[in-house]
Amino acid sequence: MVYLAGFHWGWLVASLLLGLAMGWIAVVHRGREVSKSAARWLSVLVLALVVVALMHVVPGRFGYWLDLGLVMFGVYLVGCAVGSWLRDGVVSRQAASGGPTEHAGGTSDVLE
Amino acid sequence: MRGFFRWSGKWWPGVIPLTVLWGLAAWTTMGPLEADLSAQATAVLKDSVLDKTTISAAGRDITFSAEAFSEQERSNAVALVETVPGVRRVNDRTALVAEAKPFVWTIEREVGRVTLGGNAPLPVVRNKLLDAARATFTGIDIADRMDLKRGAPPRFEAAATLLIGETGKLKTGKATISDLAVSLTGMARELGGREAIAAALKNLPDGYSVDNDIHAPPYVFEANKDPVAGTLILTGYVPDNAIHAAIVASAGRKFGEKIIDKLKASLGAPSGFDAVVTRALRSLSRLSTGRLVVSDRSVDLSGDALYDPAGRQIRAGLPGDLPRGWEAKLEVSVKPSAGPVDPTVCQQLLSDLLEKRTVQFETGKATLDPDSIGLLDQLTETALRCPTATIEIVGHTDGDGDASFNQALSERRAQAVVDFMVKAGLPANRFRPIGYGSAQPIATNDTDEGKAKNRRIDFIVRQ
Repeated sequence: MVYLAGFHWGWLVASLLLGLAMGWIAVVHRGREVSKSAARWLSVLVLALVVVALMHVVPGRFGYWLDLGLVMFGVYLVGCAVGSWLRDGVVSRQAASGGPTEHAGGTSDVLE
Repeated sequence: MRGFFRWSGKWWPGVIPLTVLWGLAAWTTMGPLEADLSAQATAVLKDSVLDKTTISAAGRDITFSAEAFSEQERSNAVALVETVPGVRRVNDRTALVAEAKPFVWTIEREVGRVTLGGNAPLPVVRNKLLDAARATFTGIDIADRMDLKRGAPPRFEAAATLLIGETGKLKTGKATISDLAVSLTGMARELGGREAIAAALKNLPDGYSVDNDIHAPPYVFEANKDPVAGTLILTGYVPDNAIHAAIVASAGRKFGEKIIDKLKASLGAPSGFDAVVTRALRSLSRLSTGRLVVSDRSVDLSGDALYDPAGRQIRAGLPGDLPRGWEAKLEVSVKPSAGPVDPTVCQQLLSDLLEKRTVQFETGKATLDPDSIGLLDQLTETALRCPTATIEIVGHTDGDGDASFNQALSERRAQAVVDFMVKAGLPANRFRPIGYGSAQPIATNDTDEGKAKNRRIDFIVRQ
């Protein structure tokens, strides 16, 4: 894992930035959400892929692509979480100071 | 926490560009990653002793195939590749190097080419043997046909290195190690090469047996008797300086001619060489003109005998006197007999012959010394030229010993010479043996030199 991080840091940073951006947007985004059942199924799928990757079941290049995809996806999720958390903080501060709110359903910065 | 769940439901649109990123990353990093892992795996194996090593990477999986020389080395090598950072899985295709039974190694020397073949135990040994071959055969093409195999005999490297050095003494040939048996065949470059190689092979490590079938150029000794120039030319080889001196001294006793010694010392003489040469020189001394060639175990004598019975005696005597395994090729004819001379000339010719040399006998006996047979043949040939003359053959001794014994000894020695002449075909009534004991010295009996002059046979021609 350390080797993968060292070798692919550029791509991981890109995934992280992408995640940060997506997380930042998601807080005020009014688009469609993934349904709970779909999210559950997706989680199971990702978990299954992680297990497959950890068990080294997929051989050769396909195995490598799977590992790389999962690592990038993981970093993306971390970026999303951090991005959303930061945006949420900003929005909360603005709401407390009586400024224009950015929460979903607000009047500005609405993305559809 | 609830917020996280709510927000995460909206993270999905980023997965689309992430997938694109993933595809690009997979596409662009795969080649460098595989190359990097292969290089690292190769680097960690650089101190491992392996044969036929191939490393290929597919993603982060390494396929490692090699042949190891022991199970420990094999498992160590696999473990080393597994420790390379980034390697996910190692496909172990390693095996042990095959064992050769028997373990055979060869070196073959051809004109302009040397081939090392058979089995070698380790790459480092193979390289050392190739280096040794390059050092021994400078400027000659060295071909490596060795396969790495397990099962080499103990101290194989030392034995093989020694054989490479010894093969350098061959013109063409082959040396083979088969387990603990060493065999050599071929032709040595120099005279004595077989013996030199046999001596060097005594340094083989303990336990090795040797079958030496090396041949060498013929060991040649040659003697040319030229009566016109008055020379005996000795050429070719003798085993050592002692035998050299003995042969030259023996020739000095047998021949009246000046000896021109061009002999060289060399190993490789067949057994019994000196005895055969001494015996063959005796036959050559009986020829008027002749050539003796001793080549390995073959004695080649050609020339002209001084008279017919001498020719017959030489042809009959020499082959029978050679040791077993030797062969004689004789081309001995008889010199045309010279015209008769009157008794005065006959006396002069006999005196000339006896001026420089004298008929020798065994000490204290009346047995003719074989070394004097050449001189006796010349005296006989001269006696044949004066058929009408009567010849007194007079024996003398030195002053040592009892006078009556010396008298009897001188008479018996004179009779022995007469018997030789009669055996050569001359009528007995033409000779009169006389003995004077030590009564008529021609030099002092106080010195060895003087005594040697007094011990003599004189020929006196009567009308």
